[in-house]
Amino acid sequence: MNWAYFWSLFSISLHAMVPITLTAVGEVIGETAGLFNIGLEGILLISAFTGTLGARAGGPVLGLLVGFLTGLGVGVIFGIICAYWKGSQMIAGVGINLFALGFVAFGLQVLGSPGFYTVPRNVQLPPIRTSVGSFSPVIPLALLLPFLIHWVLNHTRVGLRIKAVGENPEAADVAGIPVELTQLLSTAVGAALAGLAGAYMSVSWLGSVTKELSAGRGFIALATVVFSGLRPLLALAGGLIFGFFESLATWIQSLPGVKEAVPWQFISMIPYVATLLVVAGVIGRVRFPKALGVPYRRE
Amino acid sequence: MSWIWRGLRPILESVLAGLIGLGVGALIMWAWGYRPWPAYVALFKESFGSGYGLASALANATPLILTALTFAAGARAGLFIIGAEGMMYMGAMAAVALSLFQLPSGFHAFVALLCAAAAGILWGFIPAVLRAYRGVHEVISTIMFNWLSHFLSFYLVANVLVDPIRAEKTLSIVKTSRLPLLIRGTDLSLGIVVAAGLALLFYVFFWHTVAGYEVRAAGANPYAARYGGVSPQRTVLLVFALGGAAAGLAGAVEVMGRPPTYAVYSGLTNLSGFGFDGIGVAMIGRIHPLGIIPAAIFYGGLQAGARLMQMEAGVPFEMVRAVQGVIVLALALPELTRIFKVFFRSIQRKGART
Amino acid sequence: MAEFLLRAEGLTKVYPDGTVALSGVDLTVRPGEVLGLLGENGAGKTTLTKILSGLLPPTSGRLLSPRGQVRFHSPKDALKLGIGMVHQHFALVDTFTALENVALGLGRVNLSSLRKKLEKLVEETGLHVPLDVPVENLAVGERQRVEILKVLARDVEILILDEPTSVLTPVETAELFKFLRNLRDQGKAVIFITHKLKEALAVTDRIVVLRRGKVAGEVKTADTTAGELARLMIGVEIEPGHRPVELALEGEPKRAEAGGPKGEAVLAVKALKVRSDTGELAVRDLSFELYPGEILGIAGVEGNGQTELVEAICGLRRVEAGSVELLGRNVTNHPPTELYRLGLGHIPEDRWKYGVILSFTVAENSILGLQRERGFSAAGFLRAWAVRRHAARLVQEFSIQTAGLSAPVKSLSGGNQQKLIVGRELSKDPKVIIAAQPTRGLDIGAAQFIRDLLLRLREEGRAILLVSADLDEVLALSDRVAFMYEGTFTGVARPTELTAETIGLLMGGVKAGSG
Repeated sequence: MNWAYFWSLFSISLHAMVPITLTAVGEVIGETAGLFNIGLEGILLISAFTGTLGARAGGPVLGLLVGFLTGLGVGVIFGIICAYWKGSQMIAGVGINLFALGFVAFGLQVLGSPGFYTVPRNVQLPPIRTSVGSFSPVIPLALLLPFLIHWVLNHTRVGLRIKAVGENPEAADVAGIPVELTQLLSTAVGAALAGLAGAYMSVSWLGSVTKELSAGRGFIALATVVFSGLRPLLALAGGLIFGFFESLATWIQSLPGVKEAVPWQFISMIPYVATLLVVAGVIGRVRFPKALGVPYRRE
Repeated sequence: MSWIWRGLRPILESVLAGLIGLGVGALIMWAWGYRPWPAYVALFKESFGSGYGLASALANATPLILTALTFAAGARAGLFIIGAEGMMYMGAMAAVALSLFQLPSGFHAFVALLCAAAAGILWGFIPAVLRAYRGVHEVISTIMFNWLSHFLSFYLVANVLVDPIRAEKTLSIVKTSRLPLLIRGTDLSLGIVVAAGLALLFYVFFWHTVAGYEVRAAGANPYAARYGGVSPQRTVLLVFALGGAAAGLAGAVEVMGRPPTYAVYSGLTNLSGFGFDGIGVAMIGRIHPLGIIPAAIFYGGLQAGARLMQMEAGVPFEMVRAVQGVIVLALALPELTRIFKVFFRSIQRKGART
Repeated sequence: MAEFLLRAEGLTKVYPDGTVALSGVDLTVRPGEVLGLLGENGAGKTTLTKILSGLLPPTSGRLLSPRGQVRFHSPKDALKLGIGMVHQHFALVDTFTALENVALGLGRVNLSSLRKKLEKLVEETGLHVPLDVPVENLAVGERQRVEILKVLARDVEILILDEPTSVLTPVETAELFKFLRNLRDQGKAVIFITHKLKEALAVTDRIVVLRRGKVAGEVKTADTTAGELARLMIGVEIEPGHRPVELALEGEPKRAEAGGPKGEAVLAVKALKVRSDTGELAVRDLSFELYPGEILGIAGVEGNGQTELVEAICGLRRVEAGSVELLGRNVTNHPPTELYRLGLGHIPEDRWKYGVILSFTVAENSILGLQRERGFSAAGFLRAWAVRRHAARLVQEFSIQTAGLSAPVKSLSGGNQQKLIVGRELSKDPKVIIAAQPTRGLDIGAAQFIRDLLLRLREEGRAILLVSADLDEVLALSDRVAFMYEGTFTGVARPTELTAETIGLLMGGVKAGSG
């Protein structure tokens, strides 16, 4: 067994895990509070782009920060539309996705490289080089954050409030908890994590920005959220599983004879088929907050 | 009189949302150093100011009407079917594949359209079953199938249906299978008739048939629908079939009705995006088949004019899709018009007090 | 002693759609007093208390505390002033335990000291309830106790209870009344909302009667009579013999003359087992028969399986074991439309969930369940003209107030929506009618209309299964009464055979013939 090869596959797994885990664990917070954001895909895309702009302006860390803040901003808008103005969460999410497609393509054209933009090497986030391979510094963050969020949701007062707002907003309201504000903050934090994930993809991992960069990862994250039953640690597991499948695709392709026999297009399908199987297998056994997706109105 | 207001209000809301979208678009353009006004002038001059532009708008509207119908059919049943993109690719593939056969002219096109519709229906079958019997949310399953279709189509375009002479496109649709052009020198083909015809059929189905009544009931209140004897599983399957057929046809009319190449380009560049644009069009058209037609023409016009906007004002044409996104966001707000009424009333009150 | 704890002056509430819920209401809340807020459904009681507890802002008028005018922007402000509300449909988070529900919103709180405080409170008040069980696994009566404890833990001075007895057995009601009197003796103020006259007379010191959003009168309980209260509630005199259930006194209403059931059973339920949404057995091994020309009433506090039983009989919930026979045919787990064709009519307990589609028009709702019948469909197409004709007939026959056949059903009042549902079900010419909570939330006029209708249908020889949490209603209308407790019947008897004591035992779960 070629150890160097094994470590490189391991590295791919971890790198691919990051955007899924970060986005999923962020959405867990939002859905626990009752808001369902399908615009995650769009947030990933927009912040991949704005993160690059930030990196060009002031280095990779600024890029990541800008991505985080972009996600936060979009999350706040989504929160205002859905939590305060009682807008339709599904439609708003779709709007974000559509906007992202146009905005990023527009931005790429303005930058002068329509369709595909390569992030200059000097503004990419330098990886941690170990004896077994190089790893992005964001990876440890993505591994630790689910634990932190698990602790917050299940062992703090704040977590109790978020859960109450998602499960029975009227009970929370009557208890004196600011329902809309809690929802806004929860979904904004979740979106900010997705923003960080997007910036990570362009500035720290793939080093490029295209209209298809997110490649459905926002929706795979949603599937992971379903799989996790809103448990952050399971969201981490889901991210790792998905990362595994992505490295599996690479590994299969490298097997002798495979490249000639199986076209790359079919290998690329593996992560999506895997997601489908996981979701189809797990659905029905998870329980979601009773008020998920339903705007709260004081009658 | 209230029923007039009730009918008028959705139209007003769409117009209002449209204005908001254009407004935000102008802001973005201005932030990046472009001049919004000349850009919009170019945009609308091209699409609605000339005969050729209008024909282009209608030609662009053709696939949009169809993919919008996919989303609208789902929405009426309470489902969020965003798989039109993937179903559309399959329809296009089917249409191209039919050109491998020889059939009499006219009839060939008809069969190709039928096969494309069937391909769309087939592509939606698994997500439909997963939703009906396992409760798998259709958002996730249809997006996954979009990506599967994406890769499968890449493969078919590059290997199976590839044009032996020019490898960057598929075989062209043979003459016997092409949709005749309605106006010479334009892109406008019989496809627009197919699209508008299907929209009308959907309207009749949803509001004048028993099955349509049951589907709408299931979408409005699934419990009451069950009380009324409507089977939720059958509703899901039926609606996915309707939507799949529409999306499959969208792919077909785009290849069979687009001169001069009548083919699919590698990378699916001449098809990609219509599925998602259809969602936006459906919302602007208030998910009503008769509203979708003008909404699609509006958006098709924007697309037609976007090229000119890029040439004359330098604004990249993708701005149009960003504008569409904002319009949809604005439409997410319930009772848009009421918000404005309240807003204006509060301004009046403030003014009166000072 | 302070003069008053809270005073409302000129409270008016107009909803955005124009309905005037309250108009110029004055109210004074004094310490050491149980104040009754009496009025029929729709009179404005809940709106008033939502304003007092900070959930809704008044359109005009003001609220005063001893320190001056106050304005509530949220329930938190009301809580700060010592006003707490026990909601009719509890404001509890189902997945939390009782302790967690009480802890919610309390800010920085040490859970172990909160636990001690709660345990002491439970001892003092006698409201026993397990603290560490998820609230959704508790019985309804226990859940109400958690709701009350939650409010008491906030050290309130004013405790508002919204129709608290609707989920209690007679025995539990008596205990609650004792508890409320204790609170009063401790110097707190209790506002007790009810639409039942005899309850107001039983537990209050002072009664404010609301009618159509206005204060119709204010009396001292000791000085008033049932007749005066009834008159204030609905504005007209009612003869003692003809009092509707809401205005009846203890000992009334007259138990309905027994109509005799005749013939073969039209509905037979055998050893039925049905599960609830949470997976537990809601109906356990239940068997009974319904005969033509009789009203069989199922009494019992909500949450004992009645909802699941009705859904199972009507084809809306899976029957796990046992069978349902309609007119001799086995219809277990058959679709609802087949049941309708055989002669079943179902007036659902949750009219917005099962009964109507709010966004559909009156015409469209009038054929819900009938859309595939030959009269309304032809070759797959809807016969629009036939539908409208049917709807028009219903509107006329049942005096349904509506802006038109194309008006969305959500624009109709609750009573009119219910009339539409009842009319539609009756248009199927059903031989068996399942009426679940048919008068819930309706004003007295609409409720009486439906009750009289049910009696008339019985005269016509139809069979009616009446499920109602309103014990008085069940006793007034039924020929036989079955008491449902935790999924089975504790006893079936004629109303004339029942004493208050027996009823108490049966509702509390003691099976007839035991003890």
